[in-house]
Amino acid sequence: MNHTASKGRKQRIIIIEDNNLVAKFFQMALERAGGYSCLVSEDVPAILREVGAGEVDLVLLDVSLTNAEWDGHRVNGVELCRILKEKSPRRLPVLLATAHAMSGDRERLLESSGADGYLEKPIYDSAQLIAQVRKLMA
Amino acid sequence: MSVPVPTKPHEETFIEEMKRYLHFGENDAILLKRLLPRMEKYLPEMAERFYAQIPHHPGASRVFTGGEAQVLRLKSTLQAWGQGLFNGVYDEHYAEDRFQIGFRHVRITLDQKYVISAMGVVRSFLLEKLFDEFPARDERLAYSQALSKVLDLDLNLMCDSYFRATMAHLQTLNQELEQASLQLAEANAIKDDFLAQVSHDLRTPLNSILSFTKLVLDGLCISPEEEKEVLRDVFSSGQLLLRLVNDLLDISSIEAGKLALQIEELDPRVVLDSTLPLVAVQAASRNLRLVDETLEQQLPLVRGDEIRFRQVLLNLLSNAVKFTPSGGITIRAITDYSQGFLRIEIEDTGIGIPAEKRDTAFEKFVRHDRAELRGITGSGLGLAIAKRLVEMMHGNIGLEAGANGNGSLAWFTVPLAPPSHLSETHRA
Repeated sequence: MNHTASKGRKQRIIIIEDNNLVAKFFQMALERAGGYSCLVSEDVPAILREVGAGEVDLVLLDVSLTNAEWDGHRVNGVELCRILKEKSPRRLPVLLATAHAMSGDRERLLESSGADGYLEKPIYDSAQLIAQVRKLMA
Repeated sequence: MSVPVPTKPHEETFIEEMKRYLHFGENDAILLKRLLPRMEKYLPEMAERFYAQIPHHPGASRVFTGGEAQVLRLKSTLQAWGQGLFNGVYDEHYAEDRFQIGFRHVRITLDQKYVISAMGVVRSFLLEKLFDEFPARDERLAYSQALSKVLDLDLNLMCDSYFRATMAHLQTLNQELEQASLQLAEANAIKDDFLAQVSHDLRTPLNSILSFTKLVLDGLCISPEEEKEVLRDVFSSGQLLLRLVNDLLDISSIEAGKLALQIEELDPRVVLDSTLPLVAVQAASRNLRLVDETLEQQLPLVRGDEIRFRQVLLNLLSNAVKFTPSGGITIRAITDYSQGFLRIEIEDTGIGIPAEKRDTAFEKFVRHDRAELRGITGSGLGLAIAKRLVEMMHGNIGLEAGANGNGSLAWFTVPLAPPSHLSETHRA
């Protein structure tokens, strides 16, 4: 399967999502159906350490975050996406997830965040989620 | 080559303009003044003829509601108006008098066409009497011309006053409409926000139900234990969804004024005793102490709706349990006989609520900031519902900091039952 890196380690995905049930679903779906290794976190410094070490292959990022802080400020997904992109030593695909499924939101959010893809919640099918993730990692 | 600009008297008033237009001059004023002693005696009959038309007016029943007394008053007003016709003074004050008639008529929605036809009756009557008074041709001609002019003047003044009054009336209506449309837009925006929030809140647990069910169906759980755990999430999401729907139904029926409370005399002891065991289970599962200080107290009867009293109590107690990771919850009751209410206090040793958030906490969908952090979810409507229910029972509700500034203290009041009953219970 092409989602396993050539050096043998599992591809790593960080899930940044403030609703614990949604995060749990993402994690189970990606790990069990996709064979990825996942970390659920809102701890920005810890996330940036992993990203900076080049150990992250994709970030699944919720637009509305409750507890993510950077530089002493609360940050949302759009701001965090820009920070992640800036700090990553290599290409880091970011999949932006949000429930704001309104027309015009998609383009606006993609542009302002610099994210690579847009995941429109509600998503409850693991196959669908994995298809999106694979597309961005290719 | 300059074109001569027709000169118009500077800031000519309407009555001046009309007088010029009708060739109404000083001479006419003198003639009319001379007519007064000869015509005065006809004024009562003129008033009779004028009001004889009333029954034929389609709006009469709406306009003349004051009965005989009102008609008498109107007849004397009309005679005074008739006197004015022959007074020889046709100035701004005269115009203002006539303008007022139009404003009054518009206010009572009397049609302009009715006044025009009534003025026609007056005109033919007065001219007929004038002809009786002055058989000589020359005299008759001069007087009737002056009389016609002043009647034309009045008709014009009244028509103009109708126009001005109608414009003013329309302006007021327009302002009212504008105001109403602003209020409507505001209400609409609030409704839109509410709807967006509700659909988001309904979708979140629904989404969890669907996604976790699909995980199980797809066979993605690695053990029966994990499958059970996932199903527990499905179940709790379902419960949350049910709570949310119930709360939504409550708040919408409260706001639509459709929630009827059954206010009666009730014993708070009964409500406390049936509510606390429900919370005790939740509290025990989180190792929280639940202290009921009211046990040693004699509680007075209050007036309220038993179901809703319990709902408020349960809402506040569940909140206390939700936001208290360790320590305990204390229930207290204070009777204020001078103000006539019973105050129930629920104090916790929880995470507390910042002072600046205490008032907005009772608004719809305002959630505790740190709720999500702890995985605490609710409809965001509990306190909003509690506040409305307490107010419907004529009480108050509030949030304060707990003892020593730790945790929070939620309280609400309910009115005491009338004292006569109180003393009866005491005697019994």
